[in-house]
Amino acid sequence: MMVPYSHVLALAGIVFLLGMLCTVTRRNLIMVLLGLEIMLNAGALALVGASLRWMSMDGQAMALFIVVVAAAEVSVGLALIVCVYRRTGSVDPNFTEPAAPEKPSV
Amino acid sequence: MTTTATLSDPNVAAALAACAAPLLAFAAIFLGVRRFARLSAGLSIGAVTVSLAGAVFLLAANWHGRAPQVFSVNWLVSDTVRIPFGFLLDPVGLLMMTVVAVICFLVQVYSLGYMAGDPGFSRYYGFMSLFAWAMLSLTLSSSLFQLYVFWELVGLSSYLLIGFWYEKFSASQAGKKAFVMTRAGDVAFMLGLFVLLVGAGTLDVTAVNGPAAAKMNPSLITLSALLIFGGIVGKSAQFPLLTWLPDAMEGPTPVSALLHSATMVAAGVFLFARLFPFFSRSPTAMAVFLAIGTVSMLLSSTMAMVSRDIKQVWAYSTISQLGFMIMGLAAGSFFAGVFHLTTHAGFKALLFLCSGVVIHAMGTNDMFEIGRRNGRRLKLTVVCMTLAAAALSGLPPLSGYFSKESILASLAGLDNPVWLAAGLLGVFLTAYYAFRLIFIILFPRPEKMEPEPDADTGSGYATGAPMASALLVLAAATLAVGFAAEPLARFLTGGAAAAHPGPHLPWLPFAGIGLAAAGVLLAWIEFGRPAAEQKGFAEKIPALAALFANRWYIDAVYQRLLSRLVDRGMAWLCAKTDQRVIDAGLDAMGDNVIRTGRLLSTLQSGAVQHRLMVLFAVMILLGLYIFG
Repeated sequence: MMVPYSHVLALAGIVFLLGMLCTVTRRNLIMVLLGLEIMLNAGALALVGASLRWMSMDGQAMALFIVVVAAAEVSVGLALIVCVYRRTGSVDPNFTEPAAPEKPSV
Repeated sequence: MTTTATLSDPNVAAALAACAAPLLAFAAIFLGVRRFARLSAGLSIGAVTVSLAGAVFLLAANWHGRAPQVFSVNWLVSDTVRIPFGFLLDPVGLLMMTVVAVICFLVQVYSLGYMAGDPGFSRYYGFMSLFAWAMLSLTLSSSLFQLYVFWELVGLSSYLLIGFWYEKFSASQAGKKAFVMTRAGDVAFMLGLFVLLVGAGTLDVTAVNGPAAAKMNPSLITLSALLIFGGIVGKSAQFPLLTWLPDAMEGPTPVSALLHSATMVAAGVFLFARLFPFFSRSPTAMAVFLAIGTVSMLLSSTMAMVSRDIKQVWAYSTISQLGFMIMGLAAGSFFAGVFHLTTHAGFKALLFLCSGVVIHAMGTNDMFEIGRRNGRRLKLTVVCMTLAAAALSGLPPLSGYFSKESILASLAGLDNPVWLAAGLLGVFLTAYYAFRLIFIILFPRPEKMEPEPDADTGSGYATGAPMASALLVLAAATLAVGFAAEPLARFLTGGAAAAHPGPHLPWLPFAGIGLAAAGVLLAWIEFGRPAAEQKGFAEKIPALAALFANRWYIDAVYQRLLSRLVDRGMAWLCAKTDQRVIDAGLDAMGDNVIRTGRLLSTLQSGAVQHRLMVLFAVMILLGLYIFG
C-alpha cells in the first residue's frame, strides 16, 4: 500500500518545524547544529516522498546530495563549535564576547 | 475759536525751529561729535538758544490775545480714527514753552561750570538736548496722543539724567525707581486716553476741551479725568506716587533744577492746565484732585521739616508746591495754578542752582556740614538762595507771594473752609522749612565751626561767570515776575474772565503774609538766634521725627506691597508654572523618549537566535502570503 504524498509532506513539515524550534530556542550550539540537521533531513524526506510519488530517481539523488552536504556541514560546524568553545569557554549561541583589548594603533 | 495755520505762517515756522533744533543737536552729539566735549556743549546751547528765540518770538507775537492756532498733519489714519501730529499755539502752551526754554537755556549755561571736567560731559549735553526737544514739543502738542509720546520721552530723559552717574549704585537705583513709579501713573494716563477716545472719539486738545466732551456721558468724563490724573500724579510726584522725586536728587544738581523742580515735574500740572476745561466738567474729579493736591502738599512739607539733605528739602518742597498748584487749579482758578507754575519754575530753579554752587564748593549735601564749613562765605549764592527761599515762603514783594496769594484767593472761594485752612497751614510750613535751611547755613554754631580753610583751597572755588550769570538772571526773574500778574492774567484768560474768582477777602493777603512771617519767626527761634539749639519742634518728638524722616512710611508700604504681591504672589505663580508645567513637561518628554527607546532596543539584542527567529517568521509569513 502506498503512503499518500500528503502524509509524507505533513510529516516532513512537522519535522522541519521541530528542527526550526530546536535551532531557535536551544541554548547550546551543538543542539542548534542538530536542529539544522533535522531541518535538512525534513527536506530530504520530502524529496524522497516526491520521488516515490512520481516514480522518478531525481528526488533520491537530491536526498543523497543532502546527506553528503549535511555530513560536510556537520563536520565543519562541529569544528567551529570546538573552536568557539576554546576561544570563549562557552557554547551558548548568545554569548557575547567580552570586549577585546584595544589594539595599539601602529 | 481756533484758526488753522499753514507751514508758511511765521508762527508755525518758529515753533518748528524751536522744537527741531534740540533734536538735531541731540542727534549730532550722539552720532558725531561726542568725543569733542566743548563742541557738544556748544551745539546743545546753540540749539537751545534757537528754541529760546523761537519761544520768545512766539510769546511776543501772540501776546495781544490772538486766537489759538493749530497746525497739524495727519500722522495716522485708521478708518474713523485720525491721529494728527502738530502744534497748538495757545496762551498756556506758549507760556509754558517760554518758561521751559528760559530755564533750559539758563541751566545749560550754568552746567558749563557745574559739569566742567566730568567724563560724561558730552553725554550730559546730549541728554539735555533730548530733554529740551521732548519738553518743548510736549508744551505745543496739538493732540493728547502726541502729548503722551513726548510725555514718555521726557520720562526717558529724566531716567537717563537721574542715573547719569550710573557707576553709583544709588543713582541707577533712583533712576529705575523714578522710571517705574512714573510709569505706573502713565498706565492710568493711557487708559484714560482710551476712555476719552471711546467717549469723545477724538484726542485733539481743542476738541476735547470744547465740543467733543459736551456730548460725553458724565460718568465717562469723570472716569477718564481720574485716569488721566493718574499720569499727573506720577509725573508731578503727588500722593501716593511721591517718593520717587526725593530719590531723583541723585542726579546732577542742574538736572534737578531743570527736570525735577522747574519743568518736567511741572508737566503734570501743565497737563492739568491744558485740559482744564475738560476736567472742569466733572466736579467729582475736581474734588478728588483737590484732596490729592492738599494731601501731597502737607505730607511733603512735613517731610521737608526734618531732612538734613539740602537737595532733599527742595525736592519735598517741589512736591508740596506742585500740590499747591494742583489745589489752585482744582479749586477752579486756571490762572492761579498756571501763574504759580511760572513763578515756581523761576525761584525753584534758582534754589537748586544755588544749592548746586554750595554743594560743588563744600563737597557735601548736609546742611549742618555746609554751615560748619562756612558756606555763607559764598556771598552771591547765599543772597540769591535767601531771596528764592523768601519767594518760596510767599513773602512780598517776591514772585511767590503773588502766585500764592492768588491760589489762596481761589481756595477761599470754595464752600468748605478746610481747603483754605490747609493752604494757610501749607504756607506756614513752607516758610518754616525753607528758613530752617537758610538759618542753618547762615548761622552755624560757632563752637562747632571748622577752622577757616586755607585761602587757596577754600576760597579758590570761584562761582564761574556762567554759573553766576544764570543765578543773577533767575534772581531778577524772581523779583520781577510777580508784578507781571495782571498782564499774564489778561494773556492767559483772554482778558475776559476775572483773574480772582470768588469773594474778595481783604484779610487774606495779611493772613498769608502773617503765617509766612510766623514760619520764618519760628525757624529763627529754633535755628537762627544765637542761643538756639538748632533742633526743630518736630525733631524733638522722636516718633514724629521718625515718621517724617521715613516719608510717612510710604516707601515701606510699597516695599511691603511689592514683597506681598510680586515676591509672594507672582513669584509663587511663576515658580509653580516653572515646576508643574515647564519642568514637568520636559521630564515627561524625556521619560517617554527613554521608554520608547528601551522598547525599541529589544529588537536589537545582538543575539543570533533572535535574528534567526525573525528570519523564519518572515519566511513563513511570505510563504503564507504567496502560496496561501
